[in-house]
Amino acid sequence: MSFSLYLDTNTWVHRLDGRTKIVCLLELFSVALLFSHPWYLLTLMSFVLMGMGAAKGMRNLQTMWVLLVLLFVYSMVLWPIFVNGQTPLLTIGNWVVSVEGLTHGMGMGLRLDVLVLSGMLFLTTTPIEDLSKSLQRFGLPPAIGFAISLAFRWVPTLLGSTTIIMQAQRSRGMDLASGGLLHKIRRYPPLVVPLIGHMLRQTNLLAMALESKGFGPSQPRMAYHAFSFQRQDYVALLSSNTLLGVSIWLNMHGYGTINIAF
Amino acid sequence: MWKIIVDVHAVWKDTRLIVLTAQIASIYAAILIPFKVGIPLIPGFAELRPANAIPVVTSLLFGPPAAWGSAIGNLIGDCFGTLGPASAFGFLGNFLYGSVPYLMWGRLGPFSSGREPLIHSWRQGLEFGIICIMASMVCAGVVAWGVEFLGLLPFSILAPAIFLNNVVMGLLLGPPLLLFLYPRVKRWNLRFEDIRQTFPHHDHSMKRWTPAPQTENLSAPHDNLSSMVEINHLNFQYAHTSRFALHDVSLRINRGELVALIGRSGSGKSTLCYTLNGLIPQFLPGIMTGSVYVNGMDTTHEPVWKQAETTGVVFQDFETQLISTNVEMELAYPLDQGNTLLSEEDRHTCIEQALELVSLTGLNRRDPLTLSGGQRQRLVIASMLVRNPSLLVLDQPMTDLDPAGRQEIMTLLYQLKQQGSTVILAEQDPEDLLHVDRIIVLDQGQVKWEGPPHTLWAQPALMKCYGLRPLPLAECFSGTTHSTLPATVEEAWKFVDAHHMKVETHPTHLQMTQRTPPIQPEQERNILRLENVGFAYTEEAPALQDVSITIQEGEYIAIIGRNGSGKSTFAKLLNGLLLPIKGQVLVEEMDTKTMPISQLARVVGYVFQNPDHQIFAESIWDEVAFGIRHVGYHPEAYTEQVIQALEAVGFDAQQERTVDPFSLTKGARQRVAVASVLAAKPKVLIIDEPNTGLDAEETTRLMEVIHHLHQAGHTIVLITHTMRIVAEYATRCLVMHKGQVLADGPTRSIFSDRSLIEAAGLDVPSVTQFSQRWGRTLLTVKEVQAALIARSYDE
Repeated sequence: MSFSLYLDTNTWVHRLDGRTKIVCLLELFSVALLFSHPWYLLTLMSFVLMGMGAAKGMRNLQTMWVLLVLLFVYSMVLWPIFVNGQTPLLTIGNWVVSVEGLTHGMGMGLRLDVLVLSGMLFLTTTPIEDLSKSLQRFGLPPAIGFAISLAFRWVPTLLGSTTIIMQAQRSRGMDLASGGLLHKIRRYPPLVVPLIGHMLRQTNLLAMALESKGFGPSQPRMAYHAFSFQRQDYVALLSSNTLLGVSIWLNMHGYGTINIAF
Repeated sequence: MWKIIVDVHAVWKDTRLIVLTAQIASIYAAILIPFKVGIPLIPGFAELRPANAIPVVTSLLFGPPAAWGSAIGNLIGDCFGTLGPASAFGFLGNFLYGSVPYLMWGRLGPFSSGREPLIHSWRQGLEFGIICIMASMVCAGVVAWGVEFLGLLPFSILAPAIFLNNVVMGLLLGPPLLLFLYPRVKRWNLRFEDIRQTFPHHDHSMKRWTPAPQTENLSAPHDNLSSMVEINHLNFQYAHTSRFALHDVSLRINRGELVALIGRSGSGKSTLCYTLNGLIPQFLPGIMTGSVYVNGMDTTHEPVWKQAETTGVVFQDFETQLISTNVEMELAYPLDQGNTLLSEEDRHTCIEQALELVSLTGLNRRDPLTLSGGQRQRLVIASMLVRNPSLLVLDQPMTDLDPAGRQEIMTLLYQLKQQGSTVILAEQDPEDLLHVDRIIVLDQGQVKWEGPPHTLWAQPALMKCYGLRPLPLAECFSGTTHSTLPATVEEAWKFVDAHHMKVETHPTHLQMTQRTPPIQPEQERNILRLENVGFAYTEEAPALQDVSITIQEGEYIAIIGRNGSGKSTFAKLLNGLLLPIKGQVLVEEMDTKTMPISQLARVVGYVFQNPDHQIFAESIWDEVAFGIRHVGYHPEAYTEQVIQALEAVGFDAQQERTVDPFSLTKGARQRVAVASVLAAKPKVLIIDEPNTGLDAEETTRLMEVIHHLHQAGHTIVLITHTMRIVAEYATRCLVMHKGQVLADGPTRSIFSDRSLIEAAGLDVPSVTQFSQRWGRTLLTVKEVQAALIARSYDE
């Protein structure tokens, strides 16, 4: 059972240094936030999809596309309600759907999708340990980084326990499927209490196991390897910086945004 | 205000608080997936989901770790899907959601109840309500503001959605969850203030341990060259207990020795192991006197993480020790903890060497979760060996393994010994320890016996006295007066020869002492029937193929096979937890596809391997009653049934009804689990690996309970890999291998087919192997004894 988005292949995107990937991700986020016009965001999206192709991450797209479509549709439906455009497209009662509202909705939907896709590209190519280590090199305290990777590591284990707990309670006659919302909520304690109880039983043991492995909160910062950027890192950073620079320039000169009123 | 900052910061100063934070985070993230009620408020942003009660509840239980845990949990949740710039606001919002309740409880002036965060009175309820609303508002405000700031969604859409979700779930689920969890958290000293009390860094007036005045002048060990471990007059008493966990223990372990520590549950094995790298007294508080030196170093003073270079400690549960998402990173982690910076090449060499040592070469990129139990435990051992420690300590490393996995570990340990390592192994069952150098028996915290294994095997009565299971072959000859008794089949055979003993070979003269008589043909009544059943979890690999069998009412049937052979899948099909993809499963001639699970539970009860996967109620009475309530019995029938079920497993239904099941030992919790299934009076009881983690006495007690249930008319389906138990109790055996039924028949005839047993990757008990040397298949010690004695009469 693997819920993680990380795909263990060896593409050039995978081989980039964790820090490079974090910087590129943040720059992609910034670029997406600079634009609101669908065409610009569509272009950006094609870049991200190309990256996804290069990272052989299309398998993740197959499982996530429903969410991407949902986000887009939701945005398309929602924004026209809030945006007062000058060019009415159709009128339903008192409510006017404008071209601007629709364009804005489309743009925001694409922006959401670009953000999610960029995050996905990052997670497809970066194991959690690398993320945590890279963040530590940017100054995150090691203990916090460690807690993040531990928590991530335990999720599949907990999901396994959850499945067993549900089976154990079902085989004592508990019906999990039927009933309304309130019924479902009432069935929640017999499922969550064993899960948390099991976890509490392990807290001390886990902490002892970790210290026995050499983890100590008071220990000095762990030794880092020398700066190990490769040529591909410089190329990636240069292209990403250029993209951000061009986007800022475009944005300052009024391109890529739509003027709307609420 | 200052206190808040100090508290929030303090989380990162203590390993237990860090673990608690990560645990809360993973629970929060994990619960989002399977428990989704499935009502999307705003797709991708907010859903009406019970998990949102977790930050409020954990905040009141644990304080600051809950704030961090909720924030990180939300981030991790995003890492399984929608990581984006909004995740930053999600982090902040959840951090506040997890800290507001802790900060506000008891500080609301006139609205404060001034009591513990349990909802017993209306004042506590009012306080909880206010806090829940405030926390939800803060969280919703921050997240929705951030998302609007990013231009993704309008504030007025998202804020009410998040607020509604959090408030509804907090108010509905918070009170019951707190009621169940708070008393347990308090008992286990896991509240923030309890953990802070044992802090080593801030408050020097509070010490983790109190050294009692020493009566004699203990000096450092004199002979550093030959001894690895030197323990002198060690006493230890856990905080809040009145009993010595270790009492006047003095030991010396030499370099290159492989020593086994054995004893029943609670005899002090683990406690002793924990003193060897300073976990006691630095981590587990208590009163300690005496001294422990490892490799000439006093373990009580050096920080535990520093001692990892000298001493590797492997724990029972390998799940707790694996921390990475692939094998190579698992081994790289300890290397990164050292002060010396290794070159990339040296690192690689260290990792490859360790993998070779534990025979895991080539698995570098595998996720540890996809390895077998034996492989995982060996990986843990490798992660200790990678730093080349002088001493390796293993605290019951084989509990969760099948016989093949145990064998893998023992082979590895003997190999390590060959290479000169010093190894200390704590275990419950002596059967795997035939070739260790020395055995130390602990009981009630004291060293009761010490010496070479063979001398111990020759004293079955003594072993029983310390709660140990005698070696079956030695026990066969325990009536004789010889000073050494055989441990292996080979030795037993030589023993018979050397002492001119004879064995009975004529079948009619053999006393067959198996406990359970087989079913007579005239009593046969089908209770379970499988017809051409097939099942698969994924499309690629079928878990079960074309299984057709019938189980009669009143049978005692064992399902045996290696881990992953399809035993549990088979059993879960019997009570409708899984439905067949092909064929049909009939329970009392009714198809499981057409029966609701509550009705099935009245016919087929399933006791899971780990009792902690089902126990939740506040008292054993409620726990047992839970099962009956759901299968539709009338409330008035409860009382009698609960009493019967509790008494059947050996509890006093009147005296012990209010006992919290969480406070019981593993063996007793296992019995509660049996009772809670039993209460619905199912005709069939499926019992999955009942003896995992139980010592000899607890196992016998549980197996006797099951035996009595069988005699009372229940049909028993036992899933196990302990062949000794199968031999002693089951009349019929089903051998599973790679998803198919390899053989089905009476236990004795199954056990007599060596090639079949080997093909299934199993091994018959040593007494059976011994009897097969003279052409008979005997199953128990008693049968072999009878065969031996029968012959001596003839003489």
